[in-house]
Amino acid sequence: MNWQALRLSVQVTAVASALIFVFGLALALLFARKRFPGQIVAETIITLPMVLPPTVVGFYLLLFLGQGGPIVGLLGLHVLFTWQAAAIAAAVAGLPLMVQSARAAIANVDPGLENAARGLGSSELAVFFRVTLPLARRGVLAGVLLGSARALGEFGATLMVAGNIPGRTQTMPLAIYDAVQGGRNDLAAQMVLLMSVLAFLGLWWVRRIEQLRRRQLPGQTEVKGQGA
Amino acid sequence: MGTVSPMRQTRLSVDIELKRAPFQLQVNLDAGNEILVLFGPSGAGKTTLLNTIAGLATPDAGEIVFDGRDFFRKHRPGPGINLAARKRRVGYVFQDYALFPHLTAMQNVAYSLCGQRDAGSRALSLLDRLGIGHLGNRYPHELSGGQKQRVAISRALALAPQLLLLDEPFSAIDMSLRERLHSDLHALQRDSGLVVICVTHNLEDAFALGHRLAVIQDGRLEQIGPVEEVFRNPANRRVADSIGIHNLFQARVVDCGPTGIVLEWDGLLLEAPFHPVRPGDVVTAYIRPEDVKVLYPGMPLSKVVSGNQVAGKVISRDPGSASYSLRVRLVNGHDIRVRFASYSYSSLSLTAGKDIRLSLRKDGLVVLTPDKVKAGE
Repeated sequence: MNWQALRLSVQVTAVASALIFVFGLALALLFARKRFPGQIVAETIITLPMVLPPTVVGFYLLLFLGQGGPIVGLLGLHVLFTWQAAAIAAAVAGLPLMVQSARAAIANVDPGLENAARGLGSSELAVFFRVTLPLARRGVLAGVLLGSARALGEFGATLMVAGNIPGRTQTMPLAIYDAVQGGRNDLAAQMVLLMSVLAFLGLWWVRRIEQLRRRQLPGQTEVKGQGA
Repeated sequence: MGTVSPMRQTRLSVDIELKRAPFQLQVNLDAGNEILVLFGPSGAGKTTLLNTIAGLATPDAGEIVFDGRDFFRKHRPGPGINLAARKRRVGYVFQDYALFPHLTAMQNVAYSLCGQRDAGSRALSLLDRLGIGHLGNRYPHELSGGQKQRVAISRALALAPQLLLLDEPFSAIDMSLRERLHSDLHALQRDSGLVVICVTHNLEDAFALGHRLAVIQDGRLEQIGPVEEVFRNPANRRVADSIGIHNLFQARVVDCGPTGIVLEWDGLLLEAPFHPVRPGDVVTAYIRPEDVKVLYPGMPLSKVVSGNQVAGKVISRDPGSASYSLRVRLVNGHDIRVRFASYSYSSLSLTAGKDIRLSLRKDGLVVLTPDKVKAGE
């Protein structure tokens, strides 16, 4: 087992998941509750990584993170070919899954309940954390899980922006590629098995959440029905 | 909570305009320490009016002032005052209750008390007051409609509001509890000097609850005044149609039994269903035009229509789409409206001037008694 790659994968996925949660939630809330010009364009751009070849996403990220890009120009951060770049690439790949799932869940929350909370003295922030988020929690959790699973498996864009430096940017998917290239099929098989188990567990959990949500639906539709 | 002296005058004044094509709301009304009932057909703008007062809908222009505080003020295009809903502290019982489904009844009631040390016990005492303290740990989907409504009322009262808005609060509550809630609400209103605005479709709620009645139709205030006065003297035909009653009359109770009472309406004796009144009481009653039956001369009568027979003369006849409406002058000089399906009575040739006999169905006679608490004021 390539322990270095496993450790890096966990690290990159954890950071990517945090990014996916924070940015995905904000975008989901924006898309679900506000109407603004250019909204469809913005939503489409966020979804693009799901259908574009990873190399195209990687190329855009090179422009964004590299010399002449806003990250170097405005923030002075040089992240290309570090594990942070891998985390950003993984987050961009996983973000659309989070936004779609969380957005649907938030849109499903009856705005009448949010209004009731406002009338009971809640600020917008309190409304979100005490009413909207708890009611959308299953969809949000499913979105984070899907996004994280996608981030864990990110390969193409990561290769372009972070390279394949063992011990520094080589995550599991890259290590598997290296192992196969180097004729170490036994090592590759171990990592393939681990990745498969992790991905299976992630998706299994998502399915379970969706099942629970469906079972809970009678109570929820009742509330929604009366709102009409 | 509620330690304000009843002497203190709180006023709500609303004068607003709101256009949301094709709908337009333009209302100017005042409310003091009283229960003001908003009455009108659905779509008339009653809920929208409550929403503007609560700060959940923004009028285009006008002003809403409560207890000297500007909730809303805007008279020219441009910025104005629009106090956020959370700063208005208006208790609002929504028509669909809007209970938080992820919180228990108790947590729903305690929502606005969050962070206060005695939040739990205060929430419990509010639930107890409405007789559902034992349901505190249930989630909304485990409660019946009436129980949900009471949780919603408790939650609104937890704010200790000076202004309470109720949108059809008793629609899912059965009669016996309804009467208790009526008197509870009266006591609460009186003791805490609340301004209460209550939307209802229910005539008996309006009578039992309201000090004054405001009739709203097509986004406009048609009439406002003491409840009995609006019912007795609708300002115009639209108000009469809107409150949905035509055959309203005042009668004296002459006899009371366990199964029914007998009313005397200017010389006519009518049997009515049981109602808690005493002989000598003067009551307001009505019968829906559909419950007045025309009798075929010489035909044997079914038991249902055999009682309360009255002679009268047809004055006019209005054809409707699926039903006809007759205006009949009774022997006691009062007019009554009769409505029936257009295919009924075709053999009777009911035209103006014809003498007929009517039966005022006993079960169709509704006696309205102003609530005792209110009457005693």
